[in-house]
Amino acid sequence: MSKIDRRKLLKSGAAAASVPFVLPRIAIAQADNRPTITVAVQKVANSNTLEVLREQSNVGARIFYSIYEGLIDQDYQGNLEMKPGVATSWRRIDDKTVELKLRQGVKFHNGDTMTAEDVVYTFGPERMFGRGGAAEPGRTLFTQAGGGQGKEPPPEIAAVAKRCWPQLDRIEIVDKETVRFHNKTPDVTTEGRIARMVSEIISRRGYEEAGSWLEWAQKPIATGPYKVQEFKADRHLILASHDEYWGGRPPIKELRFVEVPETASRINGLLSGQFDFACDIPPDQIATVEKNPRFEVQGGLIGNHRILCFDRQHPAMVDPRVRRAMTHAIDRQAIVETLWLGRTRVPAGLQWEYYGPMFVADWKVPEYDPKLAQKLLKEAGYKGDPIPFRVLNNYYTNQVSTAQIVTEMWKAVGLNVQIQMRENWQQIFDKSTQRGVRDWSNSAPFNDPVSSLVNQHGPQGQQQQIGEWTNAEFNTLSEQLETSTDRERRKAVFKRMLEIAEREDPGYTLLHQNCTFTAKRKDIQWKAAQAFQMDFRARNFQMPKA
Amino acid sequence: MLRFLVAKLTRAFLAILFVVTFAFVVLRLSGDPALMILGPETTPEALAAFRKSWGLDAPVWQQFLGYLGNLTEGRFGQSMRDARPAIDVVMERVPITLWLMLPALALKILLGVPAGVLAALKRNSTLDRAIMTFSVMGYAVPNFVLGIFLILIFAVQLGWLPSSGSATWAHLILPVIVLGTAGAGILARFTRSAMLEVLGQPYVRTAVAKGVPWWRVVNWHALPNAAIPTVTVIGFMMGSLIAGAVVTESVFAWPGLGRALVVAVSNRDLAVVQVILLLVAACMVTSNLIVDMLYGWLDPRTRIPKAGVGGG
Repeated sequence: MSKIDRRKLLKSGAAAASVPFVLPRIAIAQADNRPTITVAVQKVANSNTLEVLREQSNVGARIFYSIYEGLIDQDYQGNLEMKPGVATSWRRIDDKTVELKLRQGVKFHNGDTMTAEDVVYTFGPERMFGRGGAAEPGRTLFTQAGGGQGKEPPPEIAAVAKRCWPQLDRIEIVDKETVRFHNKTPDVTTEGRIARMVSEIISRRGYEEAGSWLEWAQKPIATGPYKVQEFKADRHLILASHDEYWGGRPPIKELRFVEVPETASRINGLLSGQFDFACDIPPDQIATVEKNPRFEVQGGLIGNHRILCFDRQHPAMVDPRVRRAMTHAIDRQAIVETLWLGRTRVPAGLQWEYYGPMFVADWKVPEYDPKLAQKLLKEAGYKGDPIPFRVLNNYYTNQVSTAQIVTEMWKAVGLNVQIQMRENWQQIFDKSTQRGVRDWSNSAPFNDPVSSLVNQHGPQGQQQQIGEWTNAEFNTLSEQLETSTDRERRKAVFKRMLEIAEREDPGYTLLHQNCTFTAKRKDIQWKAAQAFQMDFRARNFQMPKA
Repeated sequence: MLRFLVAKLTRAFLAILFVVTFAFVVLRLSGDPALMILGPETTPEALAAFRKSWGLDAPVWQQFLGYLGNLTEGRFGQSMRDARPAIDVVMERVPITLWLMLPALALKILLGVPAGVLAALKRNSTLDRAIMTFSVMGYAVPNFVLGIFLILIFAVQLGWLPSSGSATWAHLILPVIVLGTAGAGILARFTRSAMLEVLGQPYVRTAVAKGVPWWRVVNWHALPNAAIPTVTVIGFMMGSLIAGAVVTESVFAWPGLGRALVVAVSNRDLAVVQVILLLVAACMVTSNLIVDMLYGWLDPRTRIPKAGVGGG
């Protein structure tokens, strides 16, 4: 019998103590039969980076939810309400300040534990707002790197950050578990801005240790359930499970987003078993997929509305009655039924239910009334002057068909609208020849009308910036909506702004809510979000039992 | 020979300069890279910052002169989308493109040339008609249609081959068949016509009359003389190798230069577009030079200086 001395006892004690740490890892290594899942997408990223501040796109939103997480999350499988993210709770200190309690034990992809310093750094000048010395223009177009090759982020990063956080003053570390967001002016939308894309928390060490900004932007270190393993522009993005994810071990070992530009190829790849998911399926292909009982198409409404924008500078459209006639001449429901097979709907104006108390429930888009449209045109003295309608070749799903249908509806009431096909957005915005009507879509990045009606159509919004439309009263109200903290007053202001922009002096008119459809293997339990985001966390993904 | 080369290279240089200038002006005037790369939802401030950062706010002529100046120093510029050297963006696609296009070219030649010879030798027979029917179908059916058709059969129905991608040799089979079929059809028709013309020549009749074996007449007398038009077509095919095959690459999600060019043009990523155009033009010029030299080898008459022709 061996003698147990103090040294042996200590050794066995240490070994015993390490068992809880070692065993799960051995178990993970031995029993990792998690699947590799392949998702075919039309585009992985437009800007060839995975930096949320540069890739401000719908396709980016789809992949970022697997890599990044914000302090406040949204219930994408539910009604998009805010819910805890890497912060467990939040509360208002005053009309300029929001306090958040950080979730403890959150690990970044590089193994570091998230701290309050990481939160401050995420919103700091080095990463987000710039230090004023950002990439000066080079000698010529082709001589410098646009900020990508040095450590300094390209200048558009700071521009995006300032637009998303126009009044952010500072972030204060109260203690290691608590941070406070201080705004310069009263702002009821701070929580929404914390929840929106661009406010995801990143690792300070990960950012600082990257060889260049571009290196960071192609392999960001964040807290999401999957970490970037390989990103090949225009080809694929391979994510690997982040096993230390605070929300539990991710259910997929390797998640591959593969770029397949052709719809038919995405569908055929799914049907042949090469892909598990195929995104961006047009409505007319849903039946093709669902003919095979092993597959289904999921998805539907997302927080994005298709609209038509009017250029008030066009001589025939200066009179608001002509634009009002245009809004009443469109049978939106017919478009929904025919082109979208009834899978979308005509929304209640440029707003979403997830605005909560700010949602104006009794608001409706202008009703389809051809007689009223004809009456308004007669009153306005419209003489059939041609109005150009610049259209891109299906940048939006069903864009050309929709344009053709709407043009015929306008023709039926006496409007002479002429479709002009254009290749790109510059040609759509081009002012050298008369503009008339164009397509657009609007989202609400957070749950307040400021995020859409003010940001897109207000004084700093695109429509006014390119000189399409403006309205003095609307602009005054925009400012009030941004700064007022009186909920009743804000709601009244919002309703009045809808009246102006959609009925009295239309700057745009709603067509329908947008949809996105994802085809998938039926045996995989997964639910599409009411947004572009795809959630592959354990709570929303389950493989069939063997 | 030197004069020949200098003349060819001067013409090639002028052609490349014209292509590069034309592409620069058209692309720069017809689209804003900032809007293309950052998207229509981007804020006006971000767009302005992007334009300033890349010097896009300077007059186009100034941008172009700067570009030419850099070219003379061997600098091809930066990709605005990738924020890294355009030459790197392009060169990493070259092997992927050649991995697809070289087997396709081999298939075109191995299938098209013998089929054309056979059709000519069996002129007006059932075999001739069958070969010509298939060759017409080969280049008449659009690559997109044939590609989808093959995917439906071999990937979806039979499950033998992957439907898209470029990871393994198995991914190569369907796109190579699509590209090879169309090219083989063209080569078969050219070869047949050339062979028929040569087979009717007096020297072939003489050889046959002298009792030369038929296989020798075909291989030694007919084929070399019929090769010139075929070599010309193969030269064009070789020249366009590097440009990839846009449609086929899209159908099979093959990440080659063809797709890179489409993406770069649609994003107005000027430096990348220009590098691809330069590469394509250089390949075309090189392959034309090779073809010109092959003419001389195949047909010694083309080596006789112009002054001697009709000089008597």
